Amino acid sequence: MVRRRIWNRGDLRLLIVGLVFALAWAGIGYRLFNLQGSRAVALATVGFDQRISEQPIPAVRGTVYDRDGVELAMTIDGWNVVVDPMMLDDPAATALVLAPFADVGLAELTTEFVEAQSKGRRYAEVAMRVDSAHRDAIRAAIRSYNDANDPDIVGVFYREQPLRVYPTGDIAAQVIGLTAYDDGSGIEGLERTFNSELQGRPGKLIVEHDPSGRVIPQGQVLLEPATPGSDIVTTIDREIQFTVEQGLRKAIQKTNAIGGSIVVMDPETGAILAMASWPSLDLNDRSQVSPEVLRNRAVADVYEPGSTLKALTVAAAIDQGIVTKDTPIDTPKSVTVGDYEYEDIGRNPAWMSVADVVKRSSNVGTIEIERRLGKELHYDYLTAFGLGAPAGLDLAGERHGQLNPVSRWNETSGSSIAIGYAVGTTPLQMAAVYSAIANDGVYTEPYLVSEVIHPDGTRITAKPRTRRVISVETAVIMREILGRVVSAEDGTGRRARMTDFTAGGKTGSTNKFDVDLQRYTDETMASFIGMAPLNDPKIVIAVVLDTPTGSLEDGADLANGGASAAPVFAEVAQIVLHQLGIAPDKL
Amino acid sequence: MARTLSDRVPVFLDRDSPLKPDLVLVLTYLAVTAIGLLMVYSATAPGLEARGIDPTRELKTQAIFVVIGFIVFGVVSSIDLTEIKGLVGPIYAVSIFLLLLVLTPLGDSEGQAQRWVDLGLVQFQPSEVAKIAVVLMLASILAAATVPLSWRVVARSIAFVGLPAVLIFRQPDLGTMLVFGFVLIVMLFVSGATLRQLGFLAIASIVLTVGLFQLNLIKQYQIDRLTGFIDPDAHSLSLSYNQTQSEIAIGSGGLLGKGLFEGSQTNLQFVPVQSSDFIFTAVGEQFGFVGSVIVLGLFGVMLFRLLMIARVARSRFSFLTVSGIAAMLGFHVFVNVGMTIRVMPVTGLPLPFMSSGGTVFVAMSAALGLAHAAWIRRNMTIAD
Repeated sequence: MVRRRIWNRGDLRLLIVGLVFALAWAGIGYRLFNLQGSRAVALATVGFDQRISEQPIPAVRGTVYDRDGVELAMTIDGWNVVVDPMMLDDPAATALVLAPFADVGLAELTTEFVEAQSKGRRYAEVAMRVDSAHRDAIRAAIRSYNDANDPDIVGVFYREQPLRVYPTGDIAAQVIGLTAYDDGSGIEGLERTFNSELQGRPGKLIVEHDPSGRVIPQGQVLLEPATPGSDIVTTIDREIQFTVEQGLRKAIQKTNAIGGSIVVMDPETGAILAMASWPSLDLNDRSQVSPEVLRNRAVADVYEPGSTLKALTVAAAIDQGIVTKDTPIDTPKSVTVGDYEYEDIGRNPAWMSVADVVKRSSNVGTIEIERRLGKELHYDYLTAFGLGAPAGLDLAGERHGQLNPVSRWNETSGSSIAIGYAVGTTPLQMAAVYSAIANDGVYTEPYLVSEVIHPDGTRITAKPRTRRVISVETAVIMREILGRVVSAEDGTGRRARMTDFTAGGKTGSTNKFDVDLQRYTDETMASFIGMAPLNDPKIVIAVVLDTPTGSLEDGADLANGGASAAPVFAEVAQIVLHQLGIAPDKL
Repeated sequence: MARTLSDRVPVFLDRDSPLKPDLVLVLTYLAVTAIGLLMVYSATAPGLEARGIDPTRELKTQAIFVVIGFIVFGVVSSIDLTEIKGLVGPIYAVSIFLLLLVLTPLGDSEGQAQRWVDLGLVQFQPSEVAKIAVVLMLASILAAATVPLSWRVVARSIAFVGLPAVLIFRQPDLGTMLVFGFVLIVMLFVSGATLRQLGFLAIASIVLTVGLFQLNLIKQYQIDRLTGFIDPDAHSLSLSYNQTQSEIAIGSGGLLGKGLFEGSQTNLQFVPVQSSDFIFTAVGEQFGFVGSVIVLGLFGVMLFRLLMIARVARSRFSFLTVSGIAAMLGFHVFVNVGMTIRVMPVTGLPLPFMSSGGTVFVAMSAALGLAHAAWIRRNMTIAD
């Protein structure tokens, strides 16, 4: 029954329609072959390029330990909690759940979400830099909401953000220093000095992502792992540091000083056991940060050391055989050098032994000893003891003091420097000077970091440079002289006396120079630098107080180091020696 | 041959019926639909999964419409086109009414165009129905006319296409207007319009297009789409982005494709509206040149089969209806695929049986069903 039509006009026209389609199909086929054949590789590359991105993998920053392995600074897992506002079904409900954990209040968070959503943004901050416990709390809150409500809250993301924490808080704050908020690099203290060791090398993750930037879990991934930073072991002893900071704080209160610092040094090794500076801060609280509190006065404050430097003058003269401890020195009330008149404070006999010149802290006597020594030799000893050069800790803000070369000394320079004026030192430098005397005449460069531990376990151990600056005999004599300063009833350092240990040291009180007025003021830098036990010193402590005022019960002016700084030494040294397990040498 | 009761039963259910389905048409229809479902799933699953939603959600929705579409195809296949003839007027009237509804507050807009009617449970796209109504109306007008066509008939044809075209233009939907224009020309051509009449039509459409531009009746985004296609750099950030991404996706498929679910460009939604307008990119990227050619080949076989059916149709009305449906389907495929490879502008025409979308699938199934019905009853003698 099939009725075959013959080719008529209708058929012909249908054929033409068919041909038109065939032509169109051929065109599409040609174009497809062009795209998927010859241009396929190029287009695939374009596509791949827009899919991949490089994500840096932060290297875990190294830990800063105290000398017993207690963490002073460490990096822990932290998180930035953010949301993709476009994924929120109910911004208000989400804000209500997240607000208790957010950096901002409920109202602000709601506004943030709603606004971000209306502008089509894919990112809004909820809580930045929170620890894992905080993140887990947020997760739990969302889970319990989702169990009870529909639709679920989706679109909350947790991005890794390593956190630098300081478990001991305000201990050794200026020594440890800080890291930058943004990139985590060290900007203060040891964090800065040892930044290249601590920071490690960031790795990278090359990932495939979708158009909105989210990483595809099953996408292609190329991983170049990060190399963690090295750990550093400091010479700081957390217990001693704590003792010292307590002592400093108490001293500041008692003497009304505007600031101060204490350095505790092991004279045999050069290790800094403690280094305290006031005012201070808690490193975990960024709101406390200011240049003033971050300044490590032990290395950043340059002051005229005054009488504490007389020990160096005398040691040089004895070491050169120019005087002995018993050599009589004329001590008139005053002496005129050039057009400058130096005088002694208080009443002194007409002549004293060299030892007594130190004990009584006679300016006139010291100047006479320096005159016999001569400025060339004097200068040699000053530089040998490390003055005018950095002490070598390389801490941020560390200064190397002020010592003019001998060629530029004028008539009074030698005399002034002999008694600690016209020369600038840091508390650390003075601690190092006394350490050389304590260490039988061998100067040891102070250091703060004893070991760098690489991630592969290899260690680099600090080897502080040493040099003999005075003979053993001179050092022994100097300790005897300095011991008298403390033990003698008329010694300026008698308030540095301890009940359990012998000690030697020297007081210092220098009027502060007002740069604006170009003259000395009544304000003082009061200091005491000492060592104990006297026969075999285990510690050298430098105490420097900035502008102490008031007086003791017996009327002693706290502006003097003997009244303000010496008692701090006694209190701190006694505890520290016990903490170190040193047997008392006084019965 | 007298009609029997079995005529009323869907032909597929009756083994003894002399009315046999056309396996070629049915198989290409099923194959394209199946590939379409797979593509919709592959294009939507990763995005849904990333948002924490059931990855099969889009697939399930589309599958429901596919089932409805199959039923509609079966039912329409088993009707007699002669019976439809009397219903052409009402069908046309209803579709015009629905197009008017879109312009009322009931109309819902997606993107910058208003093409939908919100019926509460489902959204409904009247322009898809209008495409079928226009084919039937033209077939009805032209079947009654004598050959060669009179200018009067040509004018009537233009008028009956023009009314829905104007309504759709108000929405606006440039793609559907182009479909109307193409269907009109093809149907006039096969029904025996003279070359002069066709020439007049060509000139008229050019004048009309230029006039619309001159009167600023075409919206800027429509111009941008057209020029963006010609000059991709001028609009690389907005409109031609779609086509650029589409080209990248298809091109990166290479000869053999990246494999199912390995199409990072489409699966990751670098290509916008990929499950609907740009579904062909999913084919191109995942199955490469070979896959693309197979899909195009399936459509080609379907088209060839439709033209064959038109040729053997038992009445002039059937012949014209099937021709119009072939023109409509073919135009959709060409413009849609052409859009993804930048040989045609972005017009928003879906790829029949593959693009996600309920109304489109059901309407296209109904259209194919009409052609199938013409095949099934090709040998029944009924007076026109």
